[in-house]
Amino acid sequence: MKGSRGWIPLAAIALSIAVLPWLRELTGFPASYLVLLSGVLFWTAQATSWNILSGYSGYFSFGQGAFYGVGVYTLAVLVGRHGQSWWLALMFAGLAGLLLALVIGTIAFRLRSLRGEVFALLTLAIPFILSAIARVTDSIDGGQGIILPVPDYPDFFGPFQQFIFWLSGAVALLALAVAYGMVKTRYGWALFAIHDDEAVAEGLGVPTFRHKMIAIAANGLIAGLSGAVSALQVGFISPEGTFNLRVPLFVIVMSVLGGRLFWAGPAVGAIYVVTLQNRLAGGFEGWSLIILGAVLVLLVLFAPEGIMARFVLRPWTIVAVVAGVLAALALYGEWGDPVTWFALALGGAAVVALVPAGRISGRRTAPASGFGAASAHPGPDLTPPAIGDTLLEADEVTRRFGGIHALRGVSMRLSEGELLGLVGPNGSGKTTLVNVLSGALRPTSGSITIDGADLVDMAPHKIVHQGIARTYQIPRPFNSLTVRDNVVIAIMFGRDPRGLSASRKAAEEYLEMMGLSDLGEVRPGGINLHERQLLEMARAMATRPRILLLDEALAGLNPVEIDNAVAVVRRIHRSGVSIVLVEHLLRVVNQLATRIVVLDQGRLLAEGDPTTVMKNPAVVSAYLGSEAHA
Amino acid sequence: MNVLQAGLAGALGGSLFALMALGLSLTWGFLKVINLAHFGLILLGSYLTFELATSTPLGPINTLLVTAPVLGVLGAAIHLAYDRFEVSELSSLLVSYGLLIILVQVVHNIWSADFQRMDATVNPYATRSIRLGDLSFPLPTLLAAAFGLGLVVLVGTIVNRTYAGRALRAFGQDRDIASAFGIDHRLIGVVLAGVAGASAAIAGMLFALRGTITPDAAFEWVGLVFAIVILGGIGNVAGTLFAGLLVGAVSGVVALLWTPSHSPLVVFSMVVLALVFRPEGLFPRRAGRH
Amino acid sequence: MTRSTRIVHAAVALALVVSACGGSGTDTTSATITTAAPQSTTTAGAETTAPPETTAAASGEPIVVGSTLSLTGAFGPTGVIHQIAGELFIDRLNEAGGLLGQPVEWDLRDDESVTDNVATLYEQLIGQDGVDLIIGPYATPNILAAMPIAERHGFVLPQHTAVLAPTLTYPCQFPAWSIGFEPNAFIPNQLADAMDSLGGAVQTVALVTNQSGSAAFVTFGRPDVEEPAAQTIFPERGYEVVANIPYPPGNTEWDAIAAEVRQADPDLLMINGLGVDANGLIEAMLALDGYRPPMIFALFPAPGPLLALGSSSGIEALSVSIFEPNESILADMDPSVTEIVEEFAERATAAGVPYTVFETQAAASWNAWEILVQGVEGAGSLDHQAICDYLHESGADLTFAGPVEFDESLNNFWETTLGIKQIQDGDWVMVWPAERAAAELRGPTS
Repeated sequence: MKGSRGWIPLAAIALSIAVLPWLRELTGFPASYLVLLSGVLFWTAQATSWNILSGYSGYFSFGQGAFYGVGVYTLAVLVGRHGQSWWLALMFAGLAGLLLALVIGTIAFRLRSLRGEVFALLTLAIPFILSAIARVTDSIDGGQGIILPVPDYPDFFGPFQQFIFWLSGAVALLALAVAYGMVKTRYGWALFAIHDDEAVAEGLGVPTFRHKMIAIAANGLIAGLSGAVSALQVGFISPEGTFNLRVPLFVIVMSVLGGRLFWAGPAVGAIYVVTLQNRLAGGFEGWSLIILGAVLVLLVLFAPEGIMARFVLRPWTIVAVVAGVLAALALYGEWGDPVTWFALALGGAAVVALVPAGRISGRRTAPASGFGAASAHPGPDLTPPAIGDTLLEADEVTRRFGGIHALRGVSMRLSEGELLGLVGPNGSGKTTLVNVLSGALRPTSGSITIDGADLVDMAPHKIVHQGIARTYQIPRPFNSLTVRDNVVIAIMFGRDPRGLSASRKAAEEYLEMMGLSDLGEVRPGGINLHERQLLEMARAMATRPRILLLDEALAGLNPVEIDNAVAVVRRIHRSGVSIVLVEHLLRVVNQLATRIVVLDQGRLLAEGDPTTVMKNPAVVSAYLGSEAHA
Repeated sequence: MNVLQAGLAGALGGSLFALMALGLSLTWGFLKVINLAHFGLILLGSYLTFELATSTPLGPINTLLVTAPVLGVLGAAIHLAYDRFEVSELSSLLVSYGLLIILVQVVHNIWSADFQRMDATVNPYATRSIRLGDLSFPLPTLLAAAFGLGLVVLVGTIVNRTYAGRALRAFGQDRDIASAFGIDHRLIGVVLAGVAGASAAIAGMLFALRGTITPDAAFEWVGLVFAIVILGGIGNVAGTLFAGLLVGAVSGVVALLWTPSHSPLVVFSMVVLALVFRPEGLFPRRAGRH
Repeated sequence: MTRSTRIVHAAVALALVVSACGGSGTDTTSATITTAAPQSTTTAGAETTAPPETTAAASGEPIVVGSTLSLTGAFGPTGVIHQIAGELFIDRLNEAGGLLGQPVEWDLRDDESVTDNVATLYEQLIGQDGVDLIIGPYATPNILAAMPIAERHGFVLPQHTAVLAPTLTYPCQFPAWSIGFEPNAFIPNQLADAMDSLGGAVQTVALVTNQSGSAAFVTFGRPDVEEPAAQTIFPERGYEVVANIPYPPGNTEWDAIAAEVRQADPDLLMINGLGVDANGLIEAMLALDGYRPPMIFALFPAPGPLLALGSSSGIEALSVSIFEPNESILADMDPSVTEIVEEFAERATAAGVPYTVFETQAAASWNAWEILVQGVEGAGSLDHQAICDYLHESGADLTFAGPVEFDESLNNFWETTLGIKQIQDGDWVMVWPAERAAAELRGPTS
């Protein structure tokens, strides 16, 4: 994910692909290298495109074969049956992959009940359906396969292998460029956030549906194009040869082996798997699958985060090993051919990457920052803001879960500058109300407006853009991102969206506000509960809200930490943000709130200024009644 | 008449795939492992049945006395390895794929790539059927249905009626909570994986009983078995059996009324529709009983 | 980091090194069929056009023949037959003095039944490893994938099993198993001829077809072209087609098809399937109260399992064949053929192959090797154009097909030697055409 000079390798790859065939004419190395490399490029395109959706966003797809196969068949039918030109067919193949992706995405990502697992299983079924359609439809295949003539391509491309090499290279480059571009922009970061916690991402302003659609569209387009190129190369197409388990399984194997979180990870995986398979094809009769299987098992067990993850930790050592092995073999070697040398160098690199695994992963489990819990920066002493006009208004809001009424007609208002305490016994509906106000849950009936705009049918990320942000009672940070990058996401997708680098700079401000500056590079796994709750608030504030919904932000803290948190909340309030504070500790609420709303059994029991409300007999009995048994 | 015959025979045929799916569904639902190696175990089971039935006087069905314990132990051992390395659901897919291709190669090396088949003197069941009125029930698949039902009852009893079983369900839902209640997850996992391994032996035996076997068969089962696991609901043992019968019956009837080439189209469209409208499987467990 | 973990890491490292190193073995060791010094000099009776052997042993630089076969994966069951046949051929060739006096080595790669691998591997064999000659892989898609590579490099490509004549347009591609230029017409017509001879016992036909490759080609012809195929030829020849059922590869619905066939109740069931498809369907039919159509024909079955099923159930199924080692046939052939058949059986048994009879697939393999060897000997060099020209001019004389001629306008497909075999008394026996039969065709048993 890191390494801002990533475009250099990308440009280098592009240059190599462009000049390699000419180099071949100069040096006369055999065309078989181009064919082998075309294989690497094909798998690079397939695996990288899969990874854009599944690796980045965590929506695991078993349906790569569907996109690939649609590309294959679009080209095969247009060229083989209708005699269309290869380039036209290629474009339509990409388009067909894209269309299929959009259809699957529209159905799958609109399902409210959809979890990652369901998506995976759904995509598993698609290639089987497509295969049967191709087989029973005479105008597509009819079951006998399609034979493709060598296409009529411009002489400029030279021999056929060279033509295929360039086409494969172009598609692979497209895939890598998209993958790289995503990692370097908001698009990829949105997907990473979806991967870690989709609901939270949506709640920080990430339009998750749109980003998932972009990802699956990229997956479909690239896989379709790449499938079409491979169809040109192979020349004989059949349903059983196209829609089998090979493509879907291999893209997963390659991406995971290479490293799912790196734009170049799947490509590295492709290089490894293709080279290994090629070396195993001859001379390993009876052993090839055993060796391949064993390598797969061992790599996944000992480097579950992928080879790339290890490479980036010690890149120069790896480069040195590869260069060293190659040089040694080239100098002394009458032994083996260059592909074997390359395979050996790769093996060496993998060994170097794997051996010190223990030490590296030890360091990776982040510094425990139990000592000296962050203390918030005192900041300038602001006066409490004046109470202004009504900002948020809920009218007769109800919410049912099956037969259970969590909210039974709650009406409430929040004005500018208010810090509203929302209290009530356990199960009184406080968290449900927060969920409804933030759009995480849809009310069963009733209306909610902000500045007169209706929030009820609005997607949560749009509600964020209206200026409402929330925190979770149990913090839900994006665990694979650093503390700083957690905040960066919120800035990139908040009310005042900014680009990646601008957001990186801006994040400092929020970290400082919460006293988290020193922990910016730590992952959330390495900070304590209090710090995580501060991170929740930092993230919420980074969306630049007008209203902040704090759901029990002080739960589980020790007295010192509570005091610190109270100071933070007060400062947020004084900076001009209206706050709804859901809290169990009445001491805190009394200290902070300008007004209190009491909920009991989903109903509004009382509201008013803290001292009055706390003396209300109904409130006292509701509280003591339930608290006494608690 | 023919439709009924095709549907019934298809349903019975589906029960064989349901039997294959049972073990997969069990370990997936309760142990959070997508164990592709299960297909390798089934393959091994069918070859062991072939070998033992051909070289000993045991008879094909009695080979279970040997193969069920052997594959049970093997399944348990594989699970122990998953457990030892704390393999995640995703990683388990890849690791078990690695194990699957290793198993396929081992079978290939021992019994050759060519088709193997038990002689009719050893295996008289392949072409036998039981007749009921105008309907015929092929014996191998009838046995599959019987074994499937037996396994469902057995596993259902374990899961629903015993302390260990309830622990198992807790474990399937939340490992940490289960551990907090003093449940030895390793032991439960091993037992469960052992049962799944033994079920692979049964499925393998029945597959060998039906006719010819090749090392490549393991890959041909994957699609249909996954369809059954999904339709039945992952971890839902009875649902898996029902789903198997349903898939078999539907594809049998489609094959008759349309063509067999249309069967996968209908079956997998059913899978998609089920996922869209009933993501918990066609046969959700009764809620809140435990 | 515990000690045990470190050891495991070391093991990973070792495994990777081993797996990476292994590639080097390709060039020298296990992949190649060793050219063991001959113990005795046996004249390979097949090579009638070969020059007389001058030396007992081949010597000098080995001539390397490269190829892939599907040793693993879906085509594995037949791949192994071609492997054993090829190894046997080379050993006998080397014992008889080799090729051009030089020993022959076979650089064999496993394409895993994956078509994409075939092109890459042939490209490597020719372009990188510099093999002198190549021979085809097994299975039509794989051969189609290898052909353009051979064409690009101008290599002669003898191939065992691709029978889709119209699509094999490379002039230096030489089929070793010919069903003539129109297999889609030839096979149904030959079967109809055979049925005609039964004097009206057969009048209705059911077609059950694997919807893939050549099997579908024989039933339907090409989908986009009007051409004769089983489904049109049988009606033209006066047979009524009472069922026409396509099924997908990897089919599991035999019970439903069996029910449909029983309802149609044909006199002849033509199963245009592959591998053990016919077994699956026949077993399912037998399970329907022992139902069996009077005559059953299976197009490309695995011979062993079908023979076993037919023998045990008394079904005298028919199939196609180019060679069966029936006693009366062997008696008419060179004695070396009997040797080949016996030696093949020994090797197949050693390899754990269950059905060890040297028949169609092995014979096709043998033909391919003979075409290659005779081409080289005839040209007197390893120049591919010369080999190709020689074969076009002089044809070849094949042990299992007799003299054949290669006509470029027919894509080198020669007049077929394909016949029909039948399960009779526990063996596959050639029964059609009459002049090449070892026994008479038996009609409906009932």
